[in-house]
This record gives sequence, structure tokens and C-alpha cells, in this order.
Amino acid sequence: MSGGATAKTYTLPVGPVHVALEEPMYFRLDVEGEIVRGVELGAGHVHRGMEALALRRTLFQNIVLTERVCSLCSNSHPYTYCMAVENLAGMTVPERAQVLRVIAEEIKRISSHLFNVAVLAHIIGFKSLFMHVMEVREIMQDIKETVYGNRMDLAANCIGGVRYDLDEELTGYLLHGLDSVRGQVEGVHKIYSSDRMLLRRSRGVGVLGAADARELGVVGPVARGSGLELDVRHNAPYGGYALLGVEPVVERDGDVHSRAMVRLREIFVSIELIRRCVRELPGGPTTVLLPEIPAGEALARSEAPRGELVYFLRTDGTDVPNRLKWRVPSYMNWEALGRMMRDCRVSDIALIVNSIDPCISCTER
Amino acid sequence: MNDIFPALFHMLVFPGGLFALVAGLFLKGLDRRVEARMQRRVGPPLWQPFLDIVKLALKQTVIPATAQRTAFLAAPVLGFAGMAVCAALIPVAGAYAGLPGLGDLLVLFYLLPLPAVALMVGGSASSSPFGALGFSREMCMMLAYEVPLLAVLLAVAMKVGAATGVGVEFSLSAVVGYQLAHGSLALDPVMWPALAAYLLFLPGTMGVPPFDVPEAETEVLEGPLLEYSGPALGFFHLASALKTMVVLGLGVAMFFPAPLPGGALVNVAWFLAKCAGLMLLTLTVVKAATGRFRVEQAFLFYLKYPAPLALLSLGLAWRGL
Repeated sequence: MSGGATAKTYTLPVGPVHVALEEPMYFRLDVEGEIVRGVELGAGHVHRGMEALALRRTLFQNIVLTERVCSLCSNSHPYTYCMAVENLAGMTVPERAQVLRVIAEEIKRISSHLFNVAVLAHIIGFKSLFMHVMEVREIMQDIKETVYGNRMDLAANCIGGVRYDLDEELTGYLLHGLDSVRGQVEGVHKIYSSDRMLLRRSRGVGVLGAADARELGVVGPVARGSGLELDVRHNAPYGGYALLGVEPVVERDGDVHSRAMVRLREIFVSIELIRRCVRELPGGPTTVLLPEIPAGEALARSEAPRGELVYFLRTDGTDVPNRLKWRVPSYMNWEALGRMMRDCRVSDIALIVNSIDPCISCTER
Repeated sequence: MNDIFPALFHMLVFPGGLFALVAGLFLKGLDRRVEARMQRRVGPPLWQPFLDIVKLALKQTVIPATAQRTAFLAAPVLGFAGMAVCAALIPVAGAYAGLPGLGDLLVLFYLLPLPAVALMVGGSASSSPFGALGFSREMCMMLAYEVPLLAVLLAVAMKVGAATGVGVEFSLSAVVGYQLAHGSLALDPVMWPALAAYLLFLPGTMGVPPFDVPEAETEVLEGPLLEYSGPALGFFHLASALKTMVVLGLGVAMFFPAPLPGGALVNVAWFLAKCAGLMLLTLTVVKAATGRFRVEQAFLFYLKYPAPLALLSLGLAWRGL
């Protein structure tokens, strides 16, 4: 949706720097009174040329590079990248490593979803709820710092396995933390399902119907909030997920509230997954010896917190890749904004943008 | 001539001007601290608003190139001056009898919207589209909360007027005097709907969540205040601090002005304590516990709850109850 400018509309510039967005993105809105008539996106403020940088680094160094594409999906990128390399070289990752990878991924997923749900509260001005959910997220941050050494970038993956391991003490700490998080998130879930102020601001806002969702090819919680059962962990299980079996969390209404509910419910699913992984953690090595990476092409996809993440890798037998391309989930969800923002109010703009959980760093690389 | 100096003193020093400023800023500091504690934070020190004003005074006011200079700079001063005068009109039982010759409830009703009007004018003059949005939202909010306010003021005036036999009593000093002799209006069941309406009016007029629609930072980037900086922004903050004192003091004077036995100092402290209590109940707790309405939701809220409540009391007072 673009160019809705008429004599009655004025231009509202939202961004690139805006209170409600964590990252720079420019929206040029044509507004009539309080109703939005047209949206134009102006992206590129965080373009770092990472795909070009990847061609100047070895396959090893790219693990570090891909981790820094995005901080909230920061485990999904190296995970998928390593899977692409392993697919190319025909390597089998040990089972223990597969399960440990799932644990890292699900921990990141919980933190990412809590962040998004908290920012939803912030945008509607409910600062106390925002701080409450962020404080719950701090439990996850402490877990990350204790188990991996860092609150955001885990550096958990390497080609052929993982770079960390769980001993008894860490496992106990992890499970204890998850128990607290579960209790707290149950409280948060209750608030988000029943608080009238929140429901009034988020129900019926930014609606994306199932047909529109399918046509636009949206992924992740955006798709699942509109009733589509799209989850790579379910549709095309990879790594440890093939052993676990994940049921996608789906809501029908396709509004801001549904997407928030999908994320909250997925937190419970993730907690259960981590608990299962810890219980059924197989013994064995956490990594394999690296072979020579041959020339070839490979694809890998995974379910990042924001949706389906696809990595394409082409090598020519040297240790520097020939082409590394990644298609992020947020890239698929931007177009949906045009449908969701149709005739919405100015007050709902930031809310709708946040509900697709955009990762601008991911999109612009 | 002799009347001017006491009036000026009351407007500029006590209880208007300086006193109201210091008390208002201190109340704001208390509000921020208590809200922080409710959110499990530490919060700023109680004198933080004073530090903020000093900081703003030392900065430069940047005026947008396309802004209307005169209106842009005059608006905050207008709001500030109006509230400084208003503060002098509120009687403090046991310490200060008010300025009945200068103003009464009707004058207060006219002067109270001044900070909101200043916000609107400033927002419009700033030539920012967010200022324009804030202008229209503030206008909408004013339309919403001025109705219950007028109904409450009229209800109080009619109640006291009927009881004292003059019909309608607009003088705030007389209203306070009546309550000192016959008991506070807060104890009278007929006035309870009006009290409830006034309590609901307070967060709306102070622009506190859930009614901070005009200055919604995540939606309109602070609306009319977006382009303000330096001393001009400082005047807006001062006007807001003064308005806090005025509306809280008005609530205390209209509904529970009863003094303590003791001198003027004790009663000034008692008055401030009552203002602080009223603020914590209607502003701080509400602010910490809610999100923000959309502008039409806020408007409809005022139409559905405070307005009928205030009109109920007005009707009952008019019937002589």
C-alpha cells in the first residue's frame, strides 16, 4: 500500500529514529486525521554489507559473522549456517550436539518472544507491564550468561557440533531457572489474555486474514497467528527436532493480540522442549573432526524466533565461501504491513509494526 | 493600591508562585519515586524535578525554522503564568483565606485549561506534524474532561448555595467556610458522585496514563512537546507542576478542607499532605497500573463515567438535597 496522498492527507514521518522502534526504519505515512491512508517503507539504514563481508572471511570466521547479523535471533543464524556447511560436506553431527543445539535455540526463542511481548506493553503505554515482563526475561538472560558466558551472543555452534557442554551443576541451574520462568510466564499469559486495557488496544488491530497471509508468504508467528500451520520444526524437522516432534502453536484471528498469544504459548512449548532435551540428553562427543569442505552448494533452513530462516552456501574447495546468502523471516513479513495497516489509526502504527516482530538488522544485513 | 501588594504577594510567593512551584515540583518528585517503587525500580531522588528544571534552564531553546516564533515561545509562558495566578485562588483552611475579590470557581474553570491550551498552541506553532496530531488529541481530551469538571464545580456551587440560601455560591472561600461550619462535602452522600467524577477527572487533566494521549511518546513522540527544548520546555514542566498543585488543592478545598488545630504552618503541612495523598491515589497508582487509551476510547470513557456521575450530583444538588 503506497501513495495514498490526497489533498486531505498530511505526511507523517515515522523513523528512522523512533521511540517505538529498536532499530532504524523509515515509514512515510499519509495520514488523514488519525487514519493512515498510505504507507511507504524506506529501508537500508542498518545495511552493513554482511553478505559481502562473508566472502572475505573463512568458513570458520563466518560463524562469528553470522552470529552478529541479529542479536535476538543470534543463535539461529550460526546454527543454520553450520547446518548448511554440514549438509554440503555430508557431515553427521553427533546426537548430543544436536540436542545441545536445540537447547540453545529454544533458550533464545524464549528470550526473544518475551522481549517482543514486553515491547507490546511499552508501546501501548503500559510501562509497568513492560518492566515486569523484562524482569522475567532477566531470568533467561542470567541463564544465558551462566551457561554460555554472554547475555545475547551465545557462540554455541561450530561446524560439526557445539562449543559448549552441560554438566550437572549447569543443568540444575538451567532447570531451576526454567521453573521460575514458567511460573512467571503463566502470570504474564493471564494478564495478556484478560487485561481489558490490553485487549482493547490489541484485539482487532492489524488484522491479517489467512488468505492474505498465504498470498504474501508470511512466516513465523505472523503466519501462525493467522491460522497457518507453518513451522519448520514441524514441516521439515531438522537436527534435534527430528527426534523431538514439535506441534505448531496456532491462533485464528490474525490480529496483534493473536500474534502475541502465539509467542506466549510458544514459550511454554519451548520450556517443555528444553526440559525433554535435558532429560534425554544422550552421551557422546559434542563435535566431530572437520573434513575438507568440498566444492558444492547446500541449503539449510530452520525456525528462528521470527520464522523460517534459509541459508544458501556455495563453496569452491577453498576455505573462503564463494557465495553465502541468507533469507530472513522478517524479509517475508514486511509486505504484510501494507495489508495490516490499511485504514489503521496513528496510535496503532507502532503496535502493528511491533507485532510482526521485525528484525531490521536481519533484513538489511 | 494597598490591595495590590497582598494580592501580588499571594500570586507570586504564597500560596501561588514560588510556594506552589516548590510544592508542585516536590510532589512530582514524590510521584516519580513512588511509581518507580511500584515498578520494582529504585527511582530518582525526590528533588529530581528541580534538577531537571535547572538543567533545562541551562540549555538552548532550539526553534524550528518553520515554526511560528512568537506563539512558539509565548505558549509555555502563558500556561505557566495562568497557573501561578490560579494557585493564589485556592484557600488553605487554617492558613490562608483565599482571594475572593480576585477569583472564584468560575474564574478557576476558565483558567484551568490554560496549560492544555498552551500545549495545543505550542504544538501547532511548532510546525511539526506530531505537534498537529498532539493539538487535535489534546483538543479532543479537553472536550472530554471539561464537561465533568464544569458539572462538579456547578454541583459544589449549587450545594453550598442552596444550604446557605444564596442560590449558587461560586466563591471558593465561602465553599470552604461552609464546610468548616457544617462538615466536609466529602462526607455528604449527595456529593459522592461528584467526588468520584473529580477523582476521575484528575488523571485526564494532568495527562497521566491512561489518558496521556496527547503526549503519547510511542505514538506521537511527545506530540506538542516534541520540538521544545531548553527553558521553553522548562516552562511547560513548571506549568505542569503548578497545575498539579492547583487541581489537587482545588479538590482538597472543594471536598475535604478541614484543618487541624494548630497554627498556619501546621495547616500548610496538612494541606500538602492531603494533596500528596490525593495525588498518590489518583495519579501515581493509576499511572503505574494502566496502559494508554486510544483517543476515542478516552473520550468515550469520560462521556460514560465521570460526566453522568457529576451530572447526578448536580441534579441532586439542584433539587435541594
